[in-house]
Amino acid sequence: MNRREPLVSNTKCECGHQNPVGTVLCEACGKPLDEKDRESADNLEMRYDGVARRSQRVNPGIIDLIWNFFSSVKIAIYLIVLTLLGSMLGTIFPQESTFLNIDASTYYKETYGTAGNIYYRLGLSHTYESWWFVTLLVMIGASLVICSLDRVLPLYKALTRQKIRKHRQFLTRQKVVLVTKVEEEPEVWVARLSEPLKKKGYRVKTDGGALLAEKHRFSRWGPYVIHIGLIIFLLAVLARGLPGLNMDQHLAFQQGEVTKIPDTTYYLKNEKFTVEFYTDDEMPEEFRGKKVLPKLYETKAVLYECTADCIDPSKEPKLSEVAVHDIRVNSPLSYKGLKAYQFDYDLTPVLRSVQPELVNSATGEGYGKFKLDMKNPQRTFQSGPYTLSLKEKYMDFGLNDEGQPVSKSPYPNAPAFLFLITGPDLPAEGQQYFYFPKQVDKEQFQQQAINDKLGGSGRFLELEVQGMSDVDFAESTSYLNIRVDRAMPFVWVGAGIVMLGLVLGFYWQHRRIWLNLENGELVLGGHTNKNWFGFRREIVSILYKVDVIVDEKSLDNGGGLA
Amino acid sequence: MGKARKPIQIIILSVILLLGGYAIGSSVFGGDGKPREGSKAPSFELLGLDGLTHTLDEYKGKSVVLNFWGSWCGPCVKEMPALQAQWEKWKDQGVVVIGVNVGEDQMTVENFIKLVDIDFPVVMDSGRSAVRSYGVSPLPTTFFINTKGKVDSIHIGQLDLDSLDGQIGKLVNP
Repeated sequence: MNRREPLVSNTKCECGHQNPVGTVLCEACGKPLDEKDRESADNLEMRYDGVARRSQRVNPGIIDLIWNFFSSVKIAIYLIVLTLLGSMLGTIFPQESTFLNIDASTYYKETYGTAGNIYYRLGLSHTYESWWFVTLLVMIGASLVICSLDRVLPLYKALTRQKIRKHRQFLTRQKVVLVTKVEEEPEVWVARLSEPLKKKGYRVKTDGGALLAEKHRFSRWGPYVIHIGLIIFLLAVLARGLPGLNMDQHLAFQQGEVTKIPDTTYYLKNEKFTVEFYTDDEMPEEFRGKKVLPKLYETKAVLYECTADCIDPSKEPKLSEVAVHDIRVNSPLSYKGLKAYQFDYDLTPVLRSVQPELVNSATGEGYGKFKLDMKNPQRTFQSGPYTLSLKEKYMDFGLNDEGQPVSKSPYPNAPAFLFLITGPDLPAEGQQYFYFPKQVDKEQFQQQAINDKLGGSGRFLELEVQGMSDVDFAESTSYLNIRVDRAMPFVWVGAGIVMLGLVLGFYWQHRRIWLNLENGELVLGGHTNKNWFGFRREIVSILYKVDVIVDEKSLDNGGGLA
Repeated sequence: MGKARKPIQIIILSVILLLGGYAIGSSVFGGDGKPREGSKAPSFELLGLDGLTHTLDEYKGKSVVLNFWGSWCGPCVKEMPALQAQWEKWKDQGVVVIGVNVGEDQMTVENFIKLVDIDFPVVMDSGRSAVRSYGVSPLPTTFFINTKGKVDSIHIGQLDLDSLDGQIGKLVNP
């Protein structure tokens, strides 16, 4: 009456072996357990040798349900497809992380219009850091672990506990089958066949007239080795997020300055930056006069490590030199996992200090020069009988809305200094003097006129720089990409293991031959996981050695061959 | 069969949950390390105009108004009187206003302080380390840090007297 399948089918095989739920082929003799399957003549389902996966069980609990979800290959494929689709979304517009200095909230709208705005608002401008993408990766990781465990352990057990004598149906429903007459004593014939099999590298086990020959079983572990590699890979990528394991910053290094690398104890000095271009003679005809091609970017860099007083800003850090390298493209400075790559440059000179001399413009007499630093200058200077005290300093001189002098930026683009000079022949309260070290600023801001106004017409003192040797500037600024990636070795190890697994799985095949000789009839079944053609050839050549001549094609039992 | 499996399954699933939770969590809750409202204010160690090193820990138990400024930035100049006024009003009630100058030298800072006539403590972030750890990009930016050392709110742009008063009031009497 009840036509529903019984909840628990009888899993005890007629050979007497009790199989776990979910078993397809009896673990002992290989006979199909399902009634319907037994009536079929199709090839047997040989995946995992027909054993039950770990997750297949009666009355699954909540943990089993989660486990079963992740153990499903179908789910794994869906996850991979979803991840691929998600990754594709991330490639529509450049990711935020590829830019150094943008305001993402306006950049996408301005550059790509409405589509860009939607892209940004959906959070796709940082696809690979988004919660859903990371969740997908975590789920793939979970699926990798659980799928593998769920299959590798039963498979391992099945392959180590193989029985030599198999059910006739197990043999005749393989993809490689031979049923033929052999008029010989079974044990003698089987022993005779063992020799060529062993020569071909098979491990042979016999049981009377039954034989099991097997080789290259290790190739079955290939996929699981790949999975282990992938898990290490994923864990390494995950570990990059831990503090101290990964750093990627772009920093400016002014020539001649020792600059701290933030978040490390290192300081780097750019001793000299060079950029060279190909001359016209060196370029092919069609580029001459049209293109400017760089030949060399080079930063002569010295790396220092701070040994004491590193954090306290009131003390000068004590540095010791640890590495010297001429950084070029693809030749970074590398020290203990820290790498400095050439990234960009700026040839705008940056003024560091000048050494002007106080000169009496009436007599031409000089009173001696002094050093005026742009950053943290001295406050008073002595030049002959005159004392100059620095009152104001503007790095980027300009006037604000109210016409007052201000600095427009903290960078010494147009430095200006206001001195109060005291000394002989000057008013008792001193005379104010505005000084622009750069010639262009002197003219643009009319230093002469300002000073005439401040000092009156009887003014006779001027600050003058005598030559270029009295000007110190950083000729250029080199931009370096400073990177630390301590998880990288693990990424490589993971990738290496994946490669090993691929080689194991691809270049060898697990080949098995079962046979049974009874009452003058030989029943042979063969199974491999790939390269059936080569497998059949091998069987034919082995049988030829014991004078059994078979046609290669006649071994083919159908069923979609590879 | 399978009695030993359950604990193994539970162990594996919880390891996945732990690692996965960490991965997802760090992607949701700002992996960039910049402080947000409600997160802990990063510590700093900066040189004050007095020549001494000042840290955020010095002001533990106080409400801190941390104002990042530069002498070249117009709105910074304009908001200074408001900051000074609020400093005078609230300093006896456990509030400290700290000005963090971004990347300028001592002389510039000293002249500026004289010019705008302020007397709340000012520290100099010459290496821009605090700018980095606080994730400051435009100036001025002001962080309101409560007595527990957590960022209560962040104000980007010029402050005005009334809203500043309100924000400090909220800091003192949450």
